[in-house]
Amino acid sequence: MPLLDIKNLTLEIDAGTERVKALDKVSLTVNEGEIRALVGESGSGKSLIVRSIIGAVPDHWTITADRLTWKGQNLMAMTQEQRRQIMRREIAVVFQDPTSSLDPSATLGDQLEESIPPEFVGSGAFWQKRKQRKEIAISLLHKVGIKDHVSCMNRYPHEIAVDISQKFMIAMALVSEPAILIADDPTRSMESTTKNQILKLLTRLNETKNLGILFVSHDLLAISSMAHTMTVLYCGQTVESGKVRHLHRRPLHPYTRALLDSAPSFQTNLPPKSKLSTLKGTIPTLQHLPIGCRLGPRCPSAKRDCVKVPELRSIQNHTYSCHFPLHMPNSGQGKAKKQNIDKVSAKQEAGQTETKLYQRMPQQASPKSALGQIIEELKGENE
Amino acid sequence: MSCVLRVKDLVYTYKTKRTLLSKTECFELGPISFSLEKGKTLAITGNNGSGKTLLAKALVGGIKPIKGEIELEGQGLVKEHLHQSNKDIRLILQHKKDAINPAVTIGSMLDQTLLLNTELDALDRKQKIEDILVKVGLLREHYYFYRHMLSDGQQQRVALARALILEPKVVVADEPFAALDPSVRSQTVNLILALQEELGLAFVFISQNLGIIRHISDSVMVLDKGQVIESGLTKEVFEQPKQELTAKLIESHFSLVERHFSQM
Repeated sequence: MPLLDIKNLTLEIDAGTERVKALDKVSLTVNEGEIRALVGESGSGKSLIVRSIIGAVPDHWTITADRLTWKGQNLMAMTQEQRRQIMRREIAVVFQDPTSSLDPSATLGDQLEESIPPEFVGSGAFWQKRKQRKEIAISLLHKVGIKDHVSCMNRYPHEIAVDISQKFMIAMALVSEPAILIADDPTRSMESTTKNQILKLLTRLNETKNLGILFVSHDLLAISSMAHTMTVLYCGQTVESGKVRHLHRRPLHPYTRALLDSAPSFQTNLPPKSKLSTLKGTIPTLQHLPIGCRLGPRCPSAKRDCVKVPELRSIQNHTYSCHFPLHMPNSGQGKAKKQNIDKVSAKQEAGQTETKLYQRMPQQASPKSALGQIIEELKGENE
Repeated sequence: MSCVLRVKDLVYTYKTKRTLLSKTECFELGPISFSLEKGKTLAITGNNGSGKTLLAKALVGGIKPIKGEIELEGQGLVKEHLHQSNKDIRLILQHKKDAINPAVTIGSMLDQTLLLNTELDALDRKQKIEDILVKVGLLREHYYFYRHMLSDGQQQRVALARALILEPKVVVADEPFAALDPSVRSQTVNLILALQEELGLAFVFISQNLGIIRHISDSVMVLDKGQVIESGLTKEVFEQPKQELTAKLIESHFSLVERHFSQM
């Protein structure tokens, strides 16, 4: 059973006269011990998903979802208190802007010690407990790569550098030994050595503690080096999701392709100072969302059908939503496949009724193999 | 070759009450020397707090260096030439959002720049602003837009327009791509490369993204704690880093790339 299972999550924001769908039928699962990357540009609703999961949304936003469950329990039907208990112990979140999400009026040491659950500090008198708390805090700081724990714990959030407070946030999230860590852009504004450290730390935790990670970022290099699966988001719609390897090898959605092509590090034979490939235009604002497939106006292969929202289709756990996916640009929708086989079946006058053919069809992914198998079967029956 | 910008033994000391992990009182930048030719790009990289932004500010005259010379086409950055040199070397700030006045339109912001630095009349100024907006990939209508109406990428373009409107010879860009999304970032990279080719601009490009540095720069300089620890042609530095820190930076970047390819 997946740890976190989201299906068709829609988030509507009341914007005066109209309601804007900031998230439109987003689906996402995180399994135990899986690193799932959530990729998207700013304004695509990555952080909104995080906020919907943890329940930090204002009253005038409406969330509807077919499923929003944590280990099979419905998060949306829970009371505030139950939900808080889960958030406290099982789901940990590292927020986007570390310095401003820490309490500015308490030292970092106090904040970290406060977040240690009481059952971790065994029995004993209050001074013994205090000592244990401190030891746990220090070992955590060492674990995330803060060597100078003394000066870190005695400082206030505004006094430390962003990358240190980022590490500190991760330490604070890990204190209750959660089952899943939601990290919202944890490597932003870091130099590559520190970034590598953080990524290694997360990978190690994933391997040793079987920690599930939802890694929200637009740093493709970081993602492809550590994540197992990834979900690409554009403008509040899930565009494509599947194993990182599959997506890299064969992206099916034009946006994923554009996103991957835009990182110069991925192309080894790119001459310096040459033009990078890119999509034209920028991500639309929430007030001016296009209808249908939201990539439509920027998509190089957009056609008339794109004014309808494409359905989610999947090939071997690789789901995408596009009318004209890259592996079969002219096929349009599934209709076309059926029509092709229809014509052939009309020619196959072997005493078989068409209904029989139709019954056999839907299990097949590609029209060619479907046809092949049908012919084989017909042969067998005729003999 | 025509050398546009020459910096010689630049030193700047910055006094703080307290820095990150120790209570040292001052931060020393330099001595830094380099020269930059027309149409070339110099990339400056280094860890957080290594003085990259300070160097950028010192180059454009935002802070006054204690020692050393900055020469623009053979002329020192001294009081008599300051008016001209302010036009010739322009800075794109790191936090472009905060660098654009939210209370005035983009047009009037650019108009101020022209009003203070040139002697054009109102009609010419408007014409020039519209030209530059089109050149950086915006529309004429953006003249009447306010900051909050623009997206990140467009704000970046406005910052670029403000730097380019005075037809500078050198542009110092401090982390111009850090906050941009991948697809918009590629657009901006393309734009900068095209403008460089068209106008022969020299770029001082400050960034932490080694992938982009390798792509757009001709030479690279690595700073650590205010000191230049390594400099040279981009290709050479990337292939054979001499210093440990540089090697670490480059290795950690490419280990990510390698991990990516090994997964394929």
